[in-house]
Amino acid sequence: MDYILSLLVFFPAVAGLFGFLIQRDAMRSYAITIAIIELIFSLALWANFDASNPFMQFTEHASIVPAFGINYLLGVDGISLFLIVLTTFMSLVGIISINPNTKDLKELLIALLFLEMTMVGVFVALDAILFYVFWELSLVPMLYIIGVWGAENRIYAAIKFFLYTFAGSLIMLVGMLVMAYFYFQATGVWTFSLLDWHMLQLPFDYQLWLFVAFFLGFAIKVPMFPFHTWLPYAHGQAPTVGSVILAAILLKMGTYGFVRYSLPLFPDASVYFLTPIAILSIIMIIYTAMVAFAQKDIKQLVAYSSISHMGVVVIGTFALNPEGITGSIFLMISHGIVSGALFLLVGVIYERRHTKKIAEFGGLASVMPRFALIFGIMMMASMGLPLTIGFVGEFLSLLGIYKVSELFAILSGTAVVVGVVYMLYAYKNAFFGEVTNEKNRGLKDLNGREYTTLIPLTLLVVFLGIYPKPILEPVDNSVKAMVSLMHQKALTEEAREVIPEIKSEEVK
Amino acid sequence: MLEAVNISFESLNMATLTPMLVAIVGALAILTIDLFKEEMDKTLYIVLTILFLVADLSTVLGQTMGERGFFDVMLIDGLAILAQIVLLIGSIIFIPLAFSSQRFHEYRYPEFFALFLFMTAGFQFMVATDNLILIFVGLETASLALYTLIVLHNKDKSFEAAIKYFTMGALAAGFFAFSGMIFYGLTGSVELFKIFEVLEARNFEPMILILTASVFMLASFGFKMAIVPFHTWGPDVYEGSSAALAGYISIVPKVAAFVVIMRIFEGLIASGIVWIEYIFYAIVVLTMTLANIWALVQKDVKRMLAYSSISHAGFVMAAIMIGTTQANSAIFVYWILFSFTNLGAFAMLWVSHKKDSNYHERFDHPFEKFSGMVKMSPLSAVLMGLFMLTLAGIPPFSIFWGKLYLVSSAVNAGYLVLAVIMVLNSAIAAYYYAKLIVYMFMKEPETGVDGSVYMMNASISLKVMLGIAAFFTALSIFIVNPVLELSDFFIYSSGF
Repeated sequence: MDYILSLLVFFPAVAGLFGFLIQRDAMRSYAITIAIIELIFSLALWANFDASNPFMQFTEHASIVPAFGINYLLGVDGISLFLIVLTTFMSLVGIISINPNTKDLKELLIALLFLEMTMVGVFVALDAILFYVFWELSLVPMLYIIGVWGAENRIYAAIKFFLYTFAGSLIMLVGMLVMAYFYFQATGVWTFSLLDWHMLQLPFDYQLWLFVAFFLGFAIKVPMFPFHTWLPYAHGQAPTVGSVILAAILLKMGTYGFVRYSLPLFPDASVYFLTPIAILSIIMIIYTAMVAFAQKDIKQLVAYSSISHMGVVVIGTFALNPEGITGSIFLMISHGIVSGALFLLVGVIYERRHTKKIAEFGGLASVMPRFALIFGIMMMASMGLPLTIGFVGEFLSLLGIYKVSELFAILSGTAVVVGVVYMLYAYKNAFFGEVTNEKNRGLKDLNGREYTTLIPLTLLVVFLGIYPKPILEPVDNSVKAMVSLMHQKALTEEAREVIPEIKSEEVK
Repeated sequence: MLEAVNISFESLNMATLTPMLVAIVGALAILTIDLFKEEMDKTLYIVLTILFLVADLSTVLGQTMGERGFFDVMLIDGLAILAQIVLLIGSIIFIPLAFSSQRFHEYRYPEFFALFLFMTAGFQFMVATDNLILIFVGLETASLALYTLIVLHNKDKSFEAAIKYFTMGALAAGFFAFSGMIFYGLTGSVELFKIFEVLEARNFEPMILILTASVFMLASFGFKMAIVPFHTWGPDVYEGSSAALAGYISIVPKVAAFVVIMRIFEGLIASGIVWIEYIFYAIVVLTMTLANIWALVQKDVKRMLAYSSISHAGFVMAAIMIGTTQANSAIFVYWILFSFTNLGAFAMLWVSHKKDSNYHERFDHPFEKFSGMVKMSPLSAVLMGLFMLTLAGIPPFSIFWGKLYLVSSAVNAGYLVLAVIMVLNSAIAAYYYAKLIVYMFMKEPETGVDGSVYMMNASISLKVMLGIAAFFTALSIFIVNPVLELSDFFIYSSGF
């Protein structure tokens, strides 16, 4: 198990390179096989993961540029473990979901395999530059996927996606370089290793500036209000598989960045910026939910609702207590599964009707009952109905922020309410009532390929909704370790108050 | 009666001159061969040129640091050796582009290769001295050879380009002479180290004269390197030259110019005359930003690349202004990594060049030419895409590491605002590089174009060159450390 992380990162990419040799018709089977093997690797990682150890495991280390302190440093802890499993799982689901008749299928699958490498890489990298390499590299396959297989306005959407995230992350890069310089000044050693950086206590005003630099990079990716404008375009134009991966995993890279970088590196600044970020998140939650309500296009609706829920993730993270952070990490997982599933479902109906306008549908429940059932479950999960996966994370996040401020909790709780409104309204219009549009009358219900992708997702939604412990426990351990590190590092009185002290027996 | 001057041969320390002599002897040899037997095939001359350059390089590698020679005019320090290595490797990898499958006018003349070697020698003289007069001689030798090389392409556009370049070059030469004159008038010397000694002793007074001289010097090299606002000739010259030569112009002459600027301005910026730094700062920011914005609206890929190399030169100028050891080392790291990528990008244009006819009535490489390229010629599209991504600074490809080190040097020296401006410029630049990717991968092919146009001019050697460029670009992560250590070592040991 020594090199399992390298294997996880590079296996899909190497397989993708070999993919060029595969004959066109056999490519789909090849890609699915690779994705299954990759999923098995990640499950093996989970199986061998020591849940009681809150620190980095399976670490690998090699120097890339020793003269400048850039390392090949990998590791997982409870925070990243499930994001890795989510990545490999959703990649598999995404790859299966692709219609075999898609044009240039081979190229699309190869792009997806490369994308999988970059996504896993982001979650396992513990060196800032390595992280940045994977982070930026992930833009390229996505640019290609949106730009080639997207809808009519795809090129604009692809370029907008690319430039927005690229600009944001470049500012983050400057932040990383400054951080490395501070570390160099303090210790005389050049390093970009995150584990070393975690040990450094930065003066308060440095923290503020660096926090802002990192924040820009992550916030654009999440995407936080007011940087969210690229996402609806990207979703609107991307092919189904692109939207699935984008919503399920790429957005999580931003929130993961907050947890992995912003909080432990800059605890005081995190507390200092708690209120502004909470306000931004609340605006994001309420505003995008209202925008979602106004959408006539069902994919745009899902896209805006996905942004709205990411707001809950951010606010949970910035509750800065174990409940909030654990909740937001769980919510990342559940959001990945649920929004991925919703985009798949939209893709199902789009493939049949070639339209995404809600007004074109109506009465689908009588024509496609099974589709309607799964859609219904996913929608409930998205709204955060108890006993579905969506509830656990949302509840914990809101609980976390409640400890900081009751007002914030109440305001972000409206997300649930507004979510119910737009989701049920759309569901009513699309699925209930008489079949008003003749074109909808002969629609076929789900086929085998769609069952293969949707049923596992549905099972997960229900199972983890009822019994979230296998995920919550390791996450919680690592989060507690991180929070206690933050508490120890905090300089200001205020930060010490907001970031709770974790008693040592609680950190197992 | 005048006494005879006795100079022992040893005191000349001819070892310092050997590399340039090798190049010059090579040029003369090529001319001599032509005298004995005319109309030989270009391949003979190409291979000879490469061999002479390799010999030149090996003598450079044999030089010891800290030597002076030839009446103390030559100065071989770490900077000189490093710069010569970069210059020569640049020349060695560019000259094989002459192995094009189509026959071009310029390669029929052995003079082309002789001039090429003279030019290389000129650049070597520029970097291996701190004497203003020898810098001037080297500069003019190289420039005059270069004008001729451009015009040998023998098209209307090349004449325009050469004349434009020549006129601007003459103006720049005038500026250089004027600036050198002021320095000489102030200090009574043309040796840079003496100039700075005297200036320092008198506390950089009179300031106005030093400022004038610096501005003239800056303008002179601004013209040579096409830095905003002296860049106007740049894109036209790139367009008029063959793509192979344009690639060369974008890389090698600039190295020589960087070194001279470094030698001259390091002391001036440190002099405490804030105006020099302000002017430099303004020029750096303008060069990066404006060149990027102009590149956004270009319709021709070659012109776009021309503006892009201006912008990249602006990055390097920023490092010269910062002036720390790390920054100076970053210049070379950046430029070495940049040259492989730019070689690749221009070589891609070169292999798609068709003799005697433009693809389009106005431009030879409009973006439309590359529309849907991936459908017809997937491998070349992927290569070009790789070079574009690299130029945009996407990790882990070569330029990213240079940029990382350079921006880091800005951060470490306290130029935070400059660092932010630099990365924002990278973001702007990403747009026009992505534009070509969009054309290649996401648009439908234009009707009536088949894939053959992209490899029109390719030959085995050209493909090998492309392969080398792509290899170093894609796998640069493994060469960054040695390049960085090499560059650090030479720069550090020459005290910059």
